[in-house]
Amino acid sequence: MIPFLPFLCVITDKALCPVSLAEKALEGGAAMIQLRHKSASGGQLFSWAIEIVNCCKRYNALCIINDRVDIAMASKADGVHLGQQDMPATVARKIMGKNTIIGVSTSSIEEAILAEKDGADYIGFGHIYPTLSKEKGHSPLGPEALQEVSKLISLPIVAIGGISLDNAASLISCGASGVAVISAVSRAVDPSRAAQMLVSAIKKRNS
Amino acid sequence: MEHNKLPLTPLPRIFLISSGEEDPDHSIRLTRQLSLLPRSISCMVQIREKQLDSRQLLTLALEVRNIELPEGTLLLVNERVDIALAASLDGVHLPENACSPDKLRPVAPKLIFGCSVHSQKSLRLAEESEADYLLFGPVFDTPSKRRYGAPQGLVRLGELCRTTTLPVFALGGITPENASRCMGEGAYGIAALSIFQDPSQFVETIEQFYHIVFP
Repeated sequence: MIPFLPFLCVITDKALCPVSLAEKALEGGAAMIQLRHKSASGGQLFSWAIEIVNCCKRYNALCIINDRVDIAMASKADGVHLGQQDMPATVARKIMGKNTIIGVSTSSIEEAILAEKDGADYIGFGHIYPTLSKEKGHSPLGPEALQEVSKLISLPIVAIGGISLDNAASLISCGASGVAVISAVSRAVDPSRAAQMLVSAIKKRNS
Repeated sequence: MEHNKLPLTPLPRIFLISSGEEDPDHSIRLTRQLSLLPRSISCMVQIREKQLDSRQLLTLALEVRNIELPEGTLLLVNERVDIALAASLDGVHLPENACSPDKLRPVAPKLIFGCSVHSQKSLRLAEESEADYLLFGPVFDTPSKRRYGAPQGLVRLGELCRTTTLPVFALGGITPENASRCMGEGAYGIAALSIFQDPSQFVETIEQFYHIVFP
């Protein structure tokens, strides 16, 4: 279910309407949209999720909901993305079943190994480079850590944090299956074009 | 949409809402309250702790689920169907801005779904989406809701209760002194938060309410 070829995941940004951002990202070739909005009401999240799930279907892409397993289930999204402060992957698996994608955010080798043991389908790993998109409690992990973790686990790894056109392709070389971005797409003058350029950079690396 | 209507046994008539001040590591208040509940008095208990992250909320829900409770007591969590399922709770309570019961019931057909209503419009939405009960307030003045303006009052409570066939719990400034007036307006039961906070008065308050809601 996780794309085999290097892929782009675009995470929604509070600054923009998640639905229009998702549409633009999909237009540009993103294969995964993560709906993330920590302060939106459940009702609002659900209606965004329904719309994004539909858009993703049209583009044959995946819609993943951050944290809210309930919203993911009710909107029939493809899966859920869980941070270390969210429900453990083992618990989410029990209530969501086998046919749903569970991703886990990790920022150390230990967390990555645990996520694999807990039955995650992919991990987010980062932040790789400095980023302003989220409050961070640690310094950037760097591409070397990504390389190391990719040797230790067999799950697809989505690299996150400070990813741009300049460094995206090299992270695929370091073992990432995909890259996840927020501001590189959401804050671009033309988000669709920004997504398209990232996608072509990581795919070129692969060919 | 058809769904399993309410449990064959009727809902408890006293609705206890958690303080919203549970410590992330130790749910001292709520667990103490629940351990004090008289064996013969079942309650609706809503875990409403918006300050906790999902993992902390799950831990609290599991802890509360493990307390031995009076028979018929129903455990609810605010909004989070996933937490209710993961901790084997009995239901969820949905604020007005939450996802509606009809959208959530397909993924959790056995849960009870209640809705907060503050207007005729939200009443209609709750009824259309097949809520199992309603929570209406604030009926009386209560410090925590003053910033939203004047309380709704007994007259509106009465209007709402006459408009719907669903059980209505009255919330907001409810005391043993004014609870019977809510019941007189057609409320099914009463809901409260702050009045249950004083451990030395807890059992007495619950017992007083019990005699009012079951005259």
